[in-house]
Amino acid sequence: MEIAPGQRILSAENLVVKFNLRGQTLTALRSVTLDLYKGESLAIVGESGSGKSVFTKSFLGLLDNNGWIDQGHIYFDRDPAVHDYAESNRGVLYRMDLATFKRESEWLPVRGKRIAMIFQDPMTSLNPLRTIGKQIGEAYKLHHKCTAAEEKRRVLELLADVGIQDPEMRIKQYPHEFSGGMRQRVVIAIAMACNPEILICDEPTTALDVTIQAQILSLLKRLQREHQLTVVYITHDLGVVANVADRVAVMYAGDVVELGTCAEVFHDPRHPYTIALLLSLPQLGVRGEELYSIPGSPPNLFTEIRGDAFAARNVNALKADFVERPPYFAVSPTHKARTWLLDPRAPKVAPPPQLRNIKNLSHLRLDGGITK
Amino acid sequence: MVIVISVVFCLMRLLPVEGYFGSRSDAMNEKVKQQVLTQLGLLDPWYTQLLKFWKNLILHGDMGKSIVYRTGVPNAEIIASKAGYSLGFGLAALILQKLIGLPLGVLMARFKGKFLDKLGSTYILLINAVPEAVYFLMIQLYVSDFFHWPMLHKAGNSMSYLLPVICLALGGIATDALWMRRYMVDEMNKDYILLARAKGMTSSAVSFKHVMRNAFVPMAQSLPTAIIFTISGSLYVESLFSIPGMGGLLVTAIQRQDNTLVQAMVLLFSAMSVGGLLLGDLTMMLCDPRIRLAGKKESR
Repeated sequence: MEIAPGQRILSAENLVVKFNLRGQTLTALRSVTLDLYKGESLAIVGESGSGKSVFTKSFLGLLDNNGWIDQGHIYFDRDPAVHDYAESNRGVLYRMDLATFKRESEWLPVRGKRIAMIFQDPMTSLNPLRTIGKQIGEAYKLHHKCTAAEEKRRVLELLADVGIQDPEMRIKQYPHEFSGGMRQRVVIAIAMACNPEILICDEPTTALDVTIQAQILSLLKRLQREHQLTVVYITHDLGVVANVADRVAVMYAGDVVELGTCAEVFHDPRHPYTIALLLSLPQLGVRGEELYSIPGSPPNLFTEIRGDAFAARNVNALKADFVERPPYFAVSPTHKARTWLLDPRAPKVAPPPQLRNIKNLSHLRLDGGITK
Repeated sequence: MVIVISVVFCLMRLLPVEGYFGSRSDAMNEKVKQQVLTQLGLLDPWYTQLLKFWKNLILHGDMGKSIVYRTGVPNAEIIASKAGYSLGFGLAALILQKLIGLPLGVLMARFKGKFLDKLGSTYILLINAVPEAVYFLMIQLYVSDFFHWPMLHKAGNSMSYLLPVICLALGGIATDALWMRRYMVDEMNKDYILLARAKGMTSSAVSFKHVMRNAFVPMAQSLPTAIIFTISGSLYVESLFSIPGMGGLLVTAIQRQDNTLVQAMVLLFSAMSVGGLLLGDLTMMLCDPRIRLAGKKESR
């Protein structure tokens, strides 16, 4: 996808999110900076606890009660439907900073209406005691004044749009009468109810089986195309990334360590963590040999991290990696990574030869594996 | 139910026969005793007795007559005269209990970890830790003194109804608040609550529309049983405030070996529990679409 600068829809700047856990303070996001462009799909990958979910939840003010935004900004365009553009021309009010939102009333017009979210497990994200129709209609009704008939018409339209057959009948049914894939479609319908600008999919296919995964992903892709959505995927499935993403952000220990287009990150990874992550793809394994795994474990986020968070697990780590946090080094206008290895003074480290096996991204797609 | 009643019927027959003669036992000679027993039909083999009992019950709705407690008065009448009191007090207490207990639980869950939650927890702990007898007595003595309310129940004096009802409700409030809070907290951690919030709902709307109703479902099951069992009354509160209710009746009847009265009461109570459970399940079915009676269309 063409990424035109200036079409930024949301940008996080030096975002620091902390949590209070049993009297200790945990730093979940360590100064994350990331821009989101209109109409793109961005995949955020990283292991559990790397801050992927926390990052996106902070766009919606849905952090757990013990978490807070400590520093930084999340700039988001004001809603043109609500705010007067004459004001924005004076340059003051065009963007608002979500990080300064304190009261629930400030968040309500954003949640669901402008930024919507899909959660991992469709089996638990629907209220078992309310009909599908009510739950979808509720999402619409919250942001639109409408009559019952209008609400119903919208629900039917949404259900048809996400590919549910016989919506007239389905509308009166309860979640337990739906299969997992169907429920995820319903959750997607809820997210789409108010035509949001940004759709955040928090591991949308993890809880589904492979054939349903493919259906849900193609549904999401179609919706993105038809409604000019900006989609953020959170996933640890690199197959999903290859399938849907324009750009990839790799997160490690609460920071984006590498950011680039899908092709750049897969074919020319620069951060040692990204390289290690790609090396651990089972598709790269050779029959009879043990699969690659990253030695060590992620750092403790309760303590302050010095230098590069990945240094301790990196065989090619430089001295500087343990002392000072690396800045972003640009590899191309769209590709940057946070590692001292990209510094002109750093010794050249050749990428592992196995990575050359990732020749064709399409082979990675959807667990097809890399065929020899 | 049939089994319970039959078993109790047989067990009562195993008790020594002396009980049937009451205090006059010593004064009677062997012949008179035999006569009494024959008259009561107690010398027939046990299965004849059991059959006769069931026949009377089913064909005539007859629960027999009291032998000792109030000799010759039909059991149904004795129970009816007492049940009215217990039912009245019990229902009033139950309503009070639900009206205070459930909202208390809801509020405690909403302000979890805050002052209100801690205050509620203290109350629950106190009620459970201090024996009923102690705080009932304190209430009777001090509260009635403070407001100049009568200490004992008097028919027609409206103020005298208040304290027993409050006493009856106190324990239930604690239990209800405890469970409601627990179910609410359980519900609040569910994914669909997060989704509801992500839709842009206010947190009070979420608690009201999603959390509360779902949390109430498990509470609903016990409701019919609770309503029905108000009939059985409370031994302690009724004796404390001298309310002529059902509370002590079963104990007295067993002690005095009033077989027919015991049977009648066991019949009533077991019918109540079975009915209560059934109603509870039906209530659940109304509240929770996932639950259907077997035999109907099976879902998924």
